[in-house]
Amino acid sequence: MVTETDQIIEHLFRNEYGKLVSGLIRFFGTANIQVAEDIVQETLIAASENWSIDGIPNNPTGWLVQVARRKSLNELKRRKMIEKHHAGDHFRQQSENQIGSVLLEGEIEDNQLRMIFTCCHPSLNIKSQIALTLKTLCGFGVKEVAKALLTNESTINKRLYRAKSDIRNSKLAFDIPQGVELNERLEAVNLTLYLLFNEGYNSSASDSIIQKELCLEAIRLTKLICEHFKEHKKTYALLSLMYFHAARFEARIDDKGTIILFEDQDRSKWNSNLINLGIQFLQKSIDTSLSSYHIEAGIAAEHCMAKSFEETDWQSIYNQYQLLEKVKPNPVIKLNLAIIQSKLKGVEASLNELDQLAQNKTLVNYHLLPATQGIFHMKLGNYRKAIPFLEKAQTLEPSASENEFIQSRIEECRKKLLTK
Amino acid sequence: MQEFLLILKGDGMNHLSPDELQDIMSEYKAWVNQLGEKYLGGQRLVDAGALLTSKSDKIMTDGPFLEPKEIIAGYFLIQAKDQNEANEIAYSSPHLGLYQIEVRAISTPKMS
Repeated sequence: MVTETDQIIEHLFRNEYGKLVSGLIRFFGTANIQVAEDIVQETLIAASENWSIDGIPNNPTGWLVQVARRKSLNELKRRKMIEKHHAGDHFRQQSENQIGSVLLEGEIEDNQLRMIFTCCHPSLNIKSQIALTLKTLCGFGVKEVAKALLTNESTINKRLYRAKSDIRNSKLAFDIPQGVELNERLEAVNLTLYLLFNEGYNSSASDSIIQKELCLEAIRLTKLICEHFKEHKKTYALLSLMYFHAARFEARIDDKGTIILFEDQDRSKWNSNLINLGIQFLQKSIDTSLSSYHIEAGIAAEHCMAKSFEETDWQSIYNQYQLLEKVKPNPVIKLNLAIIQSKLKGVEASLNELDQLAQNKTLVNYHLLPATQGIFHMKLGNYRKAIPFLEKAQTLEPSASENEFIQSRIEECRKKLLTK
Repeated sequence: MQEFLLILKGDGMNHLSPDELQDIMSEYKAWVNQLGEKYLGGQRLVDAGALLTSKSDKIMTDGPFLEPKEIIAGYFLIQAKDQNEANEIAYSSPHLGLYQIEVRAISTPKMS
């Protein structure tokens, strides 16, 4: 049974990887994440080789499940043999039929939810949580995780290794928390998904494709949480926030990969479907209590719904940032407040606030502060004053595309000074 | 025409991501198509197995027993005019790079 076409869905392997790994961990237990991953890797290698010779089967997913099942049975037999000679009784109790049942289509979502709670367990270091989520649930390779998180493969390997051994040592159960524990654990999941999204959205790496994939994966997992925990309104707010940001993805960088400032973005490139989804979920998120996700989504909504940059309701945005600062005190929010002052009280007033913020120790190494100061001086025509701020921003490790952007502003300043 | 065994050594595929495995599928397919009748077959071996060294030694099972780069990952059976053509075919394989490839002629008794 072979189809004529050799087309399969984009990222089929990656998506099936995540599903199969979660299913097999449910069977082999969280102490054996590596076993599950190895079996699925073997399965995909077999698929890659067989399908290129024999053609793509009619039901690719079914083929993969069959092969993964067979490989798991072999592994189970091997484990039972080992346990006969050594201590241990985990596998002796496992029956062959159970493998088939955890891999049933109806169990996929349940498996993935369990996996989310395992990857985002508060006992794991947050960086390990993100790396493990990308590797196991999203099916990224180590190289791709490293690229997406702007680090190298050995760092990622270490994080993954640590996460897996922490999970094994603390004997984490592969289940969905219940009762009072649920809320707390959902908060932890939300935070990890929020940070995962931000990694993709804010890092503006040279490879924007993988960054976008990161955001899409964060959205996919957040949606899964929303669908299952309808009472947890904060997750709706988080999803809304992600949609509003994702709507502007294409408009943020030009063809050459250079950053386009918010005020210069072509609003017709904003994705109206995603903005609508953002609005829908923001409405659904209304709750008795206000989380930081609610406020951030509210701010993003204000931006997305303004007809033009000039027509933005800056007072409303300012007020919401003030509220956000109360809920989640953070110097970067102070920076945003100071920047918005330029719209309310003028650039000079804003620059005064920025100068004061520069005294704040937590912002000393934050490149966006001097970068903003430089650009505001440019707005006032103080090109000579702008240059040292921009140069300082360059020394504070901006991303490659940010650095390029700052460099182009410095050159603009120099040109202006020459023609004066 | 002579038959050759291309022996693939290493663990290259184990480190490919799902996306990369999906991508390599079409390269591999194109390669086999291009070989046409010269491609006779091929198979992948699982890493684990047994190692038997002598009648008196205990059988070692499970493995792998070798360094990753020495593990035989699989083989292709091809036919070619001579060693040179077989080498060229091996050189054009998308697997080269992921694996080392040993190209060995199969010794066949001369029919006269």
